Amino acid sequence: MSKTTIKFIFLAIMLIAVQVVVFNHIALLGYAVGFIFIYTLLHLPLTLSANWTLTIGFFMGLAVDIFADTQGMNAIACTILAALRRPVVKLYFPREEDITDPCPSARSLGFPVFAKYAITLSAIYCLVIFLVESMSFFRPLSLMLRIASSTLLTFLLMIATDSLTSSHNEKRL
Amino acid sequence: MRNLIEFFLRYSSWMLFVAYMAAGCFMLFHSNPWQHHVMLTSANAVSAVVYKGASNLTAYFHLRDINEDLQRRNSALELEVINLKQQLERTRELVYADTMTTDSALQRYSFILARVINNTTHRTHNYITIDKGSADGIRPEMGVMDQNGVVGIVNVTGPHSARVISLLNNHLRLSCKVKGHDHVGSLVWDGTDPEEAILEELPRHAVFEIGDTIVTSGFSTVFPEGVPIGTIVKGLRDHDENFFALRVRLFTDFTTLGTVRIISDSMTDEIREVERDIIDKK
Repeated sequence: MSKTTIKFIFLAIMLIAVQVVVFNHIALLGYAVGFIFIYTLLHLPLTLSANWTLTIGFFMGLAVDIFADTQGMNAIACTILAALRRPVVKLYFPREEDITDPCPSARSLGFPVFAKYAITLSAIYCLVIFLVESMSFFRPLSLMLRIASSTLLTFLLMIATDSLTSSHNEKRL
Repeated sequence: MRNLIEFFLRYSSWMLFVAYMAAGCFMLFHSNPWQHHVMLTSANAVSAVVYKGASNLTAYFHLRDINEDLQRRNSALELEVINLKQQLERTRELVYADTMTTDSALQRYSFILARVINNTTHRTHNYITIDKGSADGIRPEMGVMDQNGVVGIVNVTGPHSARVISLLNNHLRLSCKVKGHDHVGSLVWDGTDPEEAILEELPRHAVFEIGDTIVTSGFSTVFPEGVPIGTIVKGLRDHDENFFALRVRLFTDFTTLGTVRIISDSMTDEIREVERDIIDKK
């Protein structure tokens, strides 16, 4: 197993644990829920095959689902996220061959592009999660508020997590 | 065949995506027992360990809130206990009163139950305060007793409380006799021992033995005849040679008075009326 694989396994376990133990229990102002564990999906190398990305996404979502007793919700959202990841990168960064580090981060893509990438994927994830969740009872205003606030919070968490992992890398180098 | 495999390989990621989505939707919408399989819920071993570890940590964060909740709950329960205690006391009083009036000799009398809320024994003029008053039918000069014997006589009544002259008060003289005989003396406290009092003015020809029971004489409307007071400890020489004096050990423990009964005589007014008439005619 390469160093990158071990790093990603560690990152996934850490972030899922944090998600399950801390962020699943926090709803800021009763609306905003942060999904920190999707940073692992965002950060997966772009060189990784689509099949692997989908598989990792599905099982990470499933792991969170098992802990949170939300059968399939996060699994579906993560699978969709894994599928849309590459198109979104391409949308904001058309010349993929110019990327130095295959793992998307503020350092490899540059902050503005990474921020756009992160907020787009956060929005997609929150949209899917809350749409699926609200299928039983539909209250548009509350749903919009939840999606918007959760997207913002998740985006901030992405930036924060990214800066944390990046600084680690720099120290190591 | 080759084309088929090629097709699968080319579109493998799409198929995988569809397969995963199908699996997710299956879990989400299909309410079969499999959905509730223990491995796929937070009840499995790994989740349990993680959650237990987390709660071991986070339990400390909520201690203040939990403590406040407990305090609140505790005070609510304490209040309830007090209420229930009062209710129990009331019910017990009712039951007590019901069982007490069955004595046929006391049909003329009824009892009002009250709780002692203040009591002294160490002064020379001791008074007792009870928690019932004129609103409960208590009037001055009613007799007060507890389960053992005579306690005193109601002296002053307020609407919801009353002062009782304790037997341990040498302003109180109580007409009483040796049980089984009709020689009447008067009981008074000598101000020394809260467990003993003196029976004075007993005629010299009265017959008694040490250990005999002293009861009320019934020569007033205060106490019915035969309410126990105490037992004779020893005979004393009275200051007047024509009378006996007896040292009496009281049945009532005045230091631990709890619930007392106030004796209500239905004939009080009638007897008073008669007596007043007699006085008037004189």
